[in-house]
Amino acid sequence: MCTTALKETSGSGCGGKCGDNCPGAIARAAAARAAVQADIRKAAADPVVAGAMVPAHLADAASNIVLPPSEAREGGISAKPSLDMVTTFGATGSRVMLYPTHVPGVFYKLRGLAGFFLIALYLALPWIQIGGAPAVFFNLADRRLHLFGLTFLTQDLWLAFFIVTGLGFALFTITAIWGRVWCGWACPLTVFLDVVRKVERWIEGDGLKRKRLDSEPGTIGVYARRILKHGVIGTMAAVVANGFLAYFVSIPALFKMMLDAPTAHPGAFLLVSGTTVVLWFCFAWFREQFCIVLCPYGRLQSVLTDEDTLVVGYDSQRGEPRGRVAAGGSAAGDCVDCGKCVQVCPTGIDIRHGLQLECIGCAACIDACDSVMDKLHRPRGLVRYDSLAHFKGQAKRFWRPRLVLYSVLLVLGIVVGAFAVSSLRNAVVSLTRLSGAPYFVQDGVLRNQFLLRVLNKQSHSNWFSLKIEGELPEGLVFQGDLHHEEVSSWGETQQVIVLTLPLADWHRDKPLSLVVYDAQGRVIARKPFTLLGPETGPQVKVGLPRSVEKETHS
Amino acid sequence: MSNDESKSHVDSEGNAPVRPHDFDGIQEFDNPMPNWWLFLLFTSILFASAYWGVMHRYGKETDPGKELSARMELAAQEAARKAGVLSNPILWSMSRDANVVKAGKEVYVASCAPCHLPDLAGAIGPNLKDEIWIHGGQPLDIVKVITEGVAVKGMPTWGPLLGRQKIAEVAAFILSHHQPPGASAP
Repeated sequence: MCTTALKETSGSGCGGKCGDNCPGAIARAAAARAAVQADIRKAAADPVVAGAMVPAHLADAASNIVLPPSEAREGGISAKPSLDMVTTFGATGSRVMLYPTHVPGVFYKLRGLAGFFLIALYLALPWIQIGGAPAVFFNLADRRLHLFGLTFLTQDLWLAFFIVTGLGFALFTITAIWGRVWCGWACPLTVFLDVVRKVERWIEGDGLKRKRLDSEPGTIGVYARRILKHGVIGTMAAVVANGFLAYFVSIPALFKMMLDAPTAHPGAFLLVSGTTVVLWFCFAWFREQFCIVLCPYGRLQSVLTDEDTLVVGYDSQRGEPRGRVAAGGSAAGDCVDCGKCVQVCPTGIDIRHGLQLECIGCAACIDACDSVMDKLHRPRGLVRYDSLAHFKGQAKRFWRPRLVLYSVLLVLGIVVGAFAVSSLRNAVVSLTRLSGAPYFVQDGVLRNQFLLRVLNKQSHSNWFSLKIEGELPEGLVFQGDLHHEEVSSWGETQQVIVLTLPLADWHRDKPLSLVVYDAQGRVIARKPFTLLGPETGPQVKVGLPRSVEKETHS
Repeated sequence: MSNDESKSHVDSEGNAPVRPHDFDGIQEFDNPMPNWWLFLLFTSILFASAYWGVMHRYGKETDPGKELSARMELAAQEAARKAGVLSNPILWSMSRDANVVKAGKEVYVASCAPCHLPDLAGAIGPNLKDEIWIHGGQPLDIVKVITEGVAVKGMPTWGPLLGRQKIAEVAAFILSHHQPPGASAP
């Protein structure tokens, strides 16, 4: 079988070394690539260079794994990253596991904070009560959506248009400015995997140690640690899955389901256990395979970036040619080819090859490189957030036509969306004419019949009072004693409203309105209407033969 | 996973194999697909074959159209059974059931009272307490008038607005002001 995995670069351009051997998604100039790779290999194979920056623990690890020096320098990664292949796909299609090492730095700390906040928010939202309902509650059973105190019913579905387009424009704008910032900082998989890796480090040790444990025959202690790790990760998966269900059934219902037998709620039970297994699989084994192969969002973001987008990149102008510290001189660049940026990468790429589709923008290589630059007393930022254009030595540019367009669309979307959401009320009121003729004339009295529906969208019952306002004609009578009505929570009431008026007092085109007030005296709805009557004069009685009319008085 | 395995298909220069075709200088790599991806592909093919066999060829009902009409038929029967068949005696007996009359009164107050008045004395609409019935005084006649309305006089068609259940209840409420046939006059 000739299956083909295409190695692509994401975005329209690639930085660093990629400038002269850019595959441009698929195309490549083989000779140029070979030359670059030969350079890299030569630098790596140079014993002086290789020995220069390898920290002691790495050298130890290398002797344990028995890898060639160039491979040992890549630390946890067994295959040397290249632009031709995905590092985590083996030659036989097997999954190559990575053992990224941990280098704490500014971005690791900031991302940890962001992740903590996001996980706390995810778990807390179903608990927070706003206006009698959880802050976010997709109430499937009653077909209601509660969103931070707002309630959306099925008839409010048109608002989803603004929410979806608003999110789309926000995605366009944010990605044009900051690239795949979502992937690195806010994607649930990235945030959860950060915690998973933390757990893994606590229980089994850092990348190189884990790699050694995996490649050696296991002892009881190793197996015990592995079981403990999967226990913790599996528990995490179960918590996340249950939290997910809470968004659809609310916390009290979730607790009740937990206490009941699984057979009482087979659907919910299967959903949660299935989600738990899938999440555990993602946490334990699948990991960034999802980002590289399955995630449509990552690809979408990749095509939305351009030369001026902020991405994680390597400053090849400053870094090249790579060399050892002491060899310095004016010829040597700042990159000492220590390979730390590769060791820490969770998707197994070499950021020095330029922007690649595997890059989820986690900034681990920035932290790694900064830590090395600090030791060498060189300025930070050899690997940094910057635009591809600036890496190439061109001027930074923030405003470009596409960003202007995206921003205008985003602002427009927010304004229209806010306007639309502000039209939501605590109640839905509709006023329609009852079936039959638009008006009736009986004994010189004009009659219009309406049907009023009031749907209470609050979690408590409310009193609604009715009033007719406008230029009230003399003699207008509001039939029945229906001036206020209690509507239960989420309940609906329908009221017949009959208005009569001596035909002599009727003038056409007198605008009136039915105003609905809530118990606090606030206007819930103002429904304009006019009294309809015979167009050509009071003597015509539409649709009422005299014989029939007479019967009415029986 | 040894280092050698993961690099075995790469040539001595470290280059991944390339497919022989070449279009406008664009070539394609010949890297292997991930095994889990192939597993999903082949599992999907197997699932599709099994699904086709069970659902469309050898299952108990292979025609989705027939299956749908059979289920619709069942649903219609169920709805008719739930709604019950109304008859004059049933409506009379409903009119003596305090719960039904109470439910009927709520509907009456909201929908009928503006024209027929809360005490059924009639104003715009006719009196419902007396023994004069313009459109027939049998319980089923009353249900028919409520359901279909009397368009020329402004009595709306309540069928789609109230539904069978509420119409039966409100009819029972009206009948509760009358005596069933055979009962001694009060």
